[in-house]
Amino acid sequence: MLQKLSITSLRKEEDKMRAKADLSVNFCGIEFENPFCLSSSPVSNAYEMCARAFDAGWGGIVYKTLGMESTFKIVMPSPRLNAYNYGDKRFVGLQNAEQISDRNIADNIKDIALLKKQYPNKVLISSIMGFNDQDWETLAKMSEDAGANMLELNFSCPQMAIKTAGHRIGQDYESVANFTSIVKKACKIPVMAKMTPNITNMLPVALAAKEGGADAISAINTIKAITDIDIDNFTPLPNIKGHSAATGFSGPSVKPVALRFISDMYNSKKLDLPLSAIGGIETWIDALHFILMGGTTLQVTTAVLRYGYRIIEDMIEGLSDYMIERNINSLDEILGKAAGKIVDPADFNTQYQVVSVIDEEKCIGCGQCYISCHDGANQAIKFDPETRKASVDEERCVGCMLCKHVCPVWDCVSYREVDTKVDKHAAIF
Amino acid sequence: MKKPINPEKIRKFETMRKPLNLQDAIKEANRCLLCHDAPCNKGCPAGTDPARFIRQIRFYNFKGAARTIRNNNAMGSVCSFLCPVEKLCEKECSVLALEDPININGLQRFAWEYGKNNGIEKQYKGNQNQGNVAIIGAGPAGMSCAAELAKMDYKVTIFEKEEESGGVAKWNIPDFRITKEAVDYDLSNLKDLGVEIIYNKKIESQNEIPKMLNNGYQSVFLASGISEAYELKLFEEYSNTTNYSAFLRDVKTKHNEIDLKGKNVAIIGGGSVAIDSATSAAALGAKKVYLISLEHLDELPADKEEIKIARLMNIVFKAGSQITDVISTDNEITGLKGIEIEWIEQGKFNSENARQIDGTEFSLNVDLVIQAIGTRSGKEINKTIPGLITKGNGIVIINENRETNIPGVFAGGDVISTGATVVQAIGDGKNAAKAIDNFIKKGGR
Repeated sequence: MLQKLSITSLRKEEDKMRAKADLSVNFCGIEFENPFCLSSSPVSNAYEMCARAFDAGWGGIVYKTLGMESTFKIVMPSPRLNAYNYGDKRFVGLQNAEQISDRNIADNIKDIALLKKQYPNKVLISSIMGFNDQDWETLAKMSEDAGANMLELNFSCPQMAIKTAGHRIGQDYESVANFTSIVKKACKIPVMAKMTPNITNMLPVALAAKEGGADAISAINTIKAITDIDIDNFTPLPNIKGHSAATGFSGPSVKPVALRFISDMYNSKKLDLPLSAIGGIETWIDALHFILMGGTTLQVTTAVLRYGYRIIEDMIEGLSDYMIERNINSLDEILGKAAGKIVDPADFNTQYQVVSVIDEEKCIGCGQCYISCHDGANQAIKFDPETRKASVDEERCVGCMLCKHVCPVWDCVSYREVDTKVDKHAAIF
Repeated sequence: MKKPINPEKIRKFETMRKPLNLQDAIKEANRCLLCHDAPCNKGCPAGTDPARFIRQIRFYNFKGAARTIRNNNAMGSVCSFLCPVEKLCEKECSVLALEDPININGLQRFAWEYGKNNGIEKQYKGNQNQGNVAIIGAGPAGMSCAAELAKMDYKVTIFEKEEESGGVAKWNIPDFRITKEAVDYDLSNLKDLGVEIIYNKKIESQNEIPKMLNNGYQSVFLASGISEAYELKLFEEYSNTTNYSAFLRDVKTKHNEIDLKGKNVAIIGGGSVAIDSATSAAALGAKKVYLISLEHLDELPADKEEIKIARLMNIVFKAGSQITDVISTDNEITGLKGIEIEWIEQGKFNSENARQIDGTEFSLNVDLVIQAIGTRSGKEINKTIPGLITKGNGIVIINENRETNIPGVFAGGDVISTGATVVQAIGDGKNAAKAIDNFIKKGGR
């Protein structure tokens, strides 16, 4: 009988012809075959899962955070996830009350050692969280002995059921510096400190980690949030037997916040540490955004929770094609290329003013721009009830582009610059 | 979300649907559930892997999507226009349980056009050092087999009787259903793989294929397609009748020269080619186009999509009826008499099972009759190789290894089952390539 056609065997043929960009990065002296890593979470929970992720193509894994069960025994709350939905879009964000690993520490260490043995060319980062000085030291040593390439210090879990750990530490500069230096003294491998975004300014904490000897910074951990409330019983979700908490929020919704923190740190000359960027990465374009903001490596969880490890294929192929098309030889060439363009709003050039341009051919006549401009901007959109076409009153238009962003036709509204010396412009007059 | 069919475009013989633009494609791919076991894949006879290319579009890996299609389906561009998706991948789509299925062929068209327009690399030219294979016919089965063999490093030569390749996609499918670019693009990819095509080469003598086998070709793949359209005895003596194959070929190659204005046209048949003929006749300006079939409307073998096109073109369906008499002057048909039928036994769609319904007689004024009732393959195929075993009306018999009774000679596409779809023929070609590879690796003849 004929064998069923194997799609896998054909894919190898395809690989022969495709030019592949070099996606490798060097982070703290460690060579990553690509910058894509799993972040410390349920997606990196045990040997079997991590092995499948490596097989799928992930360049590195930050193993789920280890803690000392002898100091504090982890019991996971249940249920512990709640999705944030918007209209028909599900899972635009995810809230979790997950704790650090509840597996036996010896099992986790055994898994780390086995992963390093089976995947010597992949990068394995051990995430650790101590509950006291001694814990930090022990966990660092155990991880190094097991063969971990690097450590990530979890100063940022926003929902630890113990008050001497997690993001509370991450807001306390002295503790961050202290624990980092304990770890640095205990091991030789590079150490990365993971920041909480539940703070106005991340820089002082990152600088404290640097003072303690950190070799790199990773950010962001999840944002404390409440995603939903049951309006029948007045209980926020997830409803953990009548109670809930503001806990870690992640996914596509947090990407803008994460990009901001990464740019803050990349632009700080004082900090000057390599960054591992985290926050809502799902596609190669998300990844590229973080690279352009200064992230050398990238970490992903929520997208894997939703779609599985397989998304790595499209991240690699998409980013590689982008580089080939633009003759980019290494990701270093574009690292932080957009970060320099982030300035203080006081430095904007306000001589530059624009007005909206609506493509009448593409306008479908829904009037969404009219409503938004009428009630939310400067009443600069005219709507012809006969032709059902929108047009711009350039003398009233302030160039805010609200119309563009509410238009259901993505390329219908654009803008053009106006000469503020000659043209009347609502923003100037 | 499917783009609407534009009847104006059909009348101009231009592609009847606009392609999905970037916004459409992203929205559509975002509706896909990215199923674990991807039932759409199981619905594709050519193994195109729609689940993968949709996921690639979903994650903005557009070139990756183009590669998946091109790599898995040597006629992936053609298929994006011609596949009866409602009976295959889209029928299996999980989303169907919730709402309209994913527009899989729309996304397929978006992806290959994106790849072509954005400089996707050429395909890898094989080493051609594994042996020589001859393929008879550059249609879907032949081209697909050639591509797979070339990728396995065989030197492949296709012998095509026409002056261009593409088979039915090139010669029989009207321009409003497929773009010329699709056929050309698939062909250019095949050439990049190093496949040689010799045109205007008809296999005419019984010696030629045995000669090929004795002169350096380790194997031959017969994919010469259908040979002639079936015509009814009823119309034998009349001049103003033709078959769908001749008609559609004229439509394809010189529709500007055909004028059906003011004429009444009757199409006999209810399959895809009948609908293509009817729609083309309407596009050419026919006053009335009748489609007469034994099958009732819901039993027509044509796709719902095709029936939709026909309805947009105001085709009059005389579905569930039978022709009883031809009205003529000299040897010219001027009208048809018919009657509605019901089935004696359910599920058997043939004239022996039809019972005429009293009082439903009708007559039509007709200037042209197009017969679209299937193909009579075979007569020629028997001549190609001495001793080739065929069945019934000349369908080549193959074993489970896709081999004919002549060692080293394999067959696929319409020569092994008339009336198959393009995508099935592609699957045949792929499977045959694997079988030919096994055959040669095991020592050949």
